[in-house]
Amino acid sequence: MSGICRARLAEERKQWRKDHPFGFYAKPTKASDGSMNLLEWEVGIPGKATTAWEGGVYKLMMTFPEDYPSKPPKCKFNPPLFHPNVYPSGTVCLSILDEEKSWKPAITIKQVLLGIQELLNDPNVNDPAQSDAYTMFKSVETFASPCVGFDSKLVKTYPSEAACRVYLVSWFVFCSISLTQFTL
Amino acid sequence: MSSDYENSDNEYYDDEDDMMLEDEDGSASEMDVDAFDIDYRTSGKDKLKLYEVEYDPLSQRDVEKMMQQDVENISGIFGVDSNIAALLLRHLDWNKEKLIEKYMDNPTAVNTAAGISRPERSAEPPRSSSRSQPSQSLLNLGPRRSSRRPTAEPPKSGKTKIIERISPPVEEPQAFVCPICFDETQTETYSLHCEHRFCTSCWNTYITSKIRTEAEHWVTCMAEDCSLVAPDSFIRKALQEDNSTWNRFQELLVRHFVACNPSLKYCPYPSCTYTVSCPSASSRSSLTTIVPIVTCGASSSHKFCFGCHVDDDHRPVVCGVAKMWLQKCQDDSETANWIKSNTKECSKCQSTIEKNGGCNHMTCKKCKYEFCWVCMGPWSEHGTAWYSCNRYDEKASVDARDAQSKSRASLERYLHYYNRWANHEQSAKLSMELYAKTEKKMDEMQMTSELTWIEVQFMKKAVDEVFKCRMTLKWTYAMAYYLDSGNQKELFEDNQRDLERAVEELSELIESPLEPESIPSLRQKVTDKTVYVQKRNEIVLEDTAKGLLEGRWKWNCSIEGFD
Repeated sequence: MSGICRARLAEERKQWRKDHPFGFYAKPTKASDGSMNLLEWEVGIPGKATTAWEGGVYKLMMTFPEDYPSKPPKCKFNPPLFHPNVYPSGTVCLSILDEEKSWKPAITIKQVLLGIQELLNDPNVNDPAQSDAYTMFKSVETFASPCVGFDSKLVKTYPSEAACRVYLVSWFVFCSISLTQFTL
Repeated sequence: MSSDYENSDNEYYDDEDDMMLEDEDGSASEMDVDAFDIDYRTSGKDKLKLYEVEYDPLSQRDVEKMMQQDVENISGIFGVDSNIAALLLRHLDWNKEKLIEKYMDNPTAVNTAAGISRPERSAEPPRSSSRSQPSQSLLNLGPRRSSRRPTAEPPKSGKTKIIERISPPVEEPQAFVCPICFDETQTETYSLHCEHRFCTSCWNTYITSKIRTEAEHWVTCMAEDCSLVAPDSFIRKALQEDNSTWNRFQELLVRHFVACNPSLKYCPYPSCTYTVSCPSASSRSSLTTIVPIVTCGASSSHKFCFGCHVDDDHRPVVCGVAKMWLQKCQDDSETANWIKSNTKECSKCQSTIEKNGGCNHMTCKKCKYEFCWVCMGPWSEHGTAWYSCNRYDEKASVDARDAQSKSRASLERYLHYYNRWANHEQSAKLSMELYAKTEKKMDEMQMTSELTWIEVQFMKKAVDEVFKCRMTLKWTYAMAYYLDSGNQKELFEDNQRDLERAVEELSELIESPLEPESIPSLRQKVTDKTVYVQKRNEIVLEDTAKGLLEGRWKWNCSIEGFD
């Protein structure tokens, strides 16, 4: 088993160095004696252009089990991310990272990282992993839908995650106040 | 049929004739496969009591045969390979009618959903015209190193070939690199008909891990987004010599089949592979009239209830009552005891209050009602007598105490039944000790009297019987707790009382000290009593079972399954 695991990771490393998507980085960590630890990778995922995530590179640790690629790697944002599909610990909840769902041994590291990048701006509400981000996302979704121009405005004005969060909270508060006023 | 039973009594003397008789009889011919089976199969069938159900223990092989029949049936109707028929059946949870209906309606959709063929894509790339050149062309696809994603390759419309192909060893081994392990030395590859080609060792590792660690009987292609399912023949080939994993796979298939069929149940005992078929207990509504206690074919100690998860012989009580009672015991018994001895209820809002110090002037934290802890009457009548109560007989306080005693009565009632239930359970637990003690006594009897080993067996029989009856008695208390009071309940409790009295008398006889001169009379008494106890037990079980069938029992609360 471990034979396949290391050989495959070494090949993944080779392929990555040859060619990888723009803005991403992925490298195995180094042990204290300077040797390479192929089972743990340090990864950076850039936010997509024209989304709230643009401009940031989000750091992630990828941990490969000994029976990789039969089993998927574990991906953990460090520091944890405020996102409906990221656990409070930072672990990403994504179907292609679940061996009982869509994980297949043929999925490459590149595909995993592109999948996570996609997830950032396109959360899956059916599979929430933390309550704060989920409830906020749900409430904003319901309040925002009738308000024309909400999405584009959000994207243009608030590129970083923290700013977006502040904006979402204030929007939520504003909406609830105006709603109460209308009912009164 | 009764002749079989008599024969088995004579077993010691003319074993061979016995077998002959059974064979001529014809009724027992299917049972001589396994001599072990015969004993309790025949005894189960011949003397089927009212409180027993008809059932068949099945070995894994028997179930495999049943599956095989279904598969052959479907493969005959649809005219497909048996591997495909098996996948179709598993996809629709072995529901043949549903499968036939759906398949006749739209075979392509069913095939796609079952992972037999790939979904057809509307825009097929021009290369798909290379249909005429089968596996040769895909060998050429393999070596393209830059294409890391097998799914990126254009899908081939290999609809005509449904079974996987196994390629001959590749002529130019250096040309193919498995996209999973990147091992260039692998020469042999497999693929399903989706043509996602991987080396044999990767397939082996993947399938083994699916079967071993995930207990899956449903193995899909390793390529991303490919939902084709590997048929059994492919798995067998990919596992190569690994027979234990293959056997595990077979076991998983059997388990899936059993889980899909309501008249089958897998033996819950660890690592037992037997199945029990009990069609009479397959519907939930039947569980209100029968108590399906069954034994699997592997061992007579593998006794379990077909209808529920109580792993105990809970006759004569039906599953719904047994479950409710156990739940209640788990939730309530210790707490109830403590509440009863340490608390009182507020006479206004019925909150349970524990007094842990201070004077008798109580103020309920919840409803702010002020009362006296001693007489339970309202404090307003007490004036300033803070530490003593001299108004015990005031009307208000008598009323308050009455209300309280009512709520206590239900607790008392529960504890009455629970204590007796627990008492029998405790005695049954101590039976191991009793067996050891009885064995010693039997030795002693042999020494002090002229009885032989066979003749002192009456003691062991008596202990067996006591144990059995205690189990029955235990559950009769659960039943009595939920029975609505009336004539029926009184009759039930009379039977229960008779059995209990007889059992206690018999246990007393068993445990009484031995005196050499009284051994013959003891033997007589114990034997008589054992028979009597056996009869009483039968009466309780039979009568309860009959009542269930007739719907005679009235419950004092709503019970799952009953209306």
